[in-house]
Amino acid sequence: MKRAFFIVAALIILTPLFAYAAELVGYSEPLENIASNLGVEETPFYKGILPDYTIGGLDPYIGTLISAVIGSALVFLLVYGVSHIMRR
Amino acid sequence: MHIPDGFLDLPLSALTYALAAASIGLAVYLLEKKGVNESRIPLLGVLAAAIFAAQMLNWPIPGGTSAHFVGSGVAAILLGPLQAILVMTSILAVQTLVFGDGGLTALGANILNMGVVGVIAAYLIYTLLARRSRVAAAFLAGWFGAVSAALACGLEIGSSSIFAYNIWVTVPVMFIWHALLGIVEGFVTSATVAFLLKSRPELLVGEVKIS
Repeated sequence: MKRAFFIVAALIILTPLFAYAAELVGYSEPLENIASNLGVEETPFYKGILPDYTIGGLDPYIGTLISAVIGSALVFLLVYGVSHIMRR
Repeated sequence: MHIPDGFLDLPLSALTYALAAASIGLAVYLLEKKGVNESRIPLLGVLAAAIFAAQMLNWPIPGGTSAHFVGSGVAAILLGPLQAILVMTSILAVQTLVFGDGGLTALGANILNMGVVGVIAAYLIYTLLARRSRVAAAFLAGWFGAVSAALACGLEIGSSSIFAYNIWVTVPVMFIWHALLGIVEGFVTSATVAFLLKSRPELLVGEVKIS
């Protein structure tokens, strides 16, 4: 279990690095490319609390790192809570 | 592969929400009947957190078309389809509600694609082939998980009145790209299974009965 938490921590630490690398190559996914070829626009009327895994006012890479911590913790708690209700 | 707001029209948004809700409801019903093994709950949470973090690692593939890990295959193989549906749903809900990754109107579709279709496809492939080689089966399960989710996504956006092109255009395009990008998903999935077979084999025998 300790090792599992360590693996999650390692993944979280890697997120700013990958964010930087994605920036370098102009990251875009097939769905986005198809949409832009067809001239379809996103209409985001809800941007989320921390849009695009960044925190307003903070350096984007630090924002990504903190987003990874917050998101992983929330997902852990959500799955833990829901499973706990259904425990036998 | 996360569909944003503005891609799906209202009927499609409603239909995919309904199908996702029905799948989640069925998964919860079946899980409640069986009960979740209490000792496995922390592991479920950690695995979900790991998949969330791994999805944030965008593979920087030069040339303009990239992707990130999805995790439908890993979740299906380690947890079985029912728990995997709930884990993927939780991840997608947090991504949408907290980080705006995937549209609110498309959350049903995104859960349906990556949380249900991808999970079930990966699980079927793994259970069919794991007898021969778990690592090879995991590779194909990861690939099929990502590709089937992409096919479902192509079907949805192609049916949407907002997209000018129909499914005969969107489905092949989504297929071709994810057939290539899915190779990485397959590698990550089989590497995860190979690693666990060596270090924690008891984690793998939870749901899939092989012998």
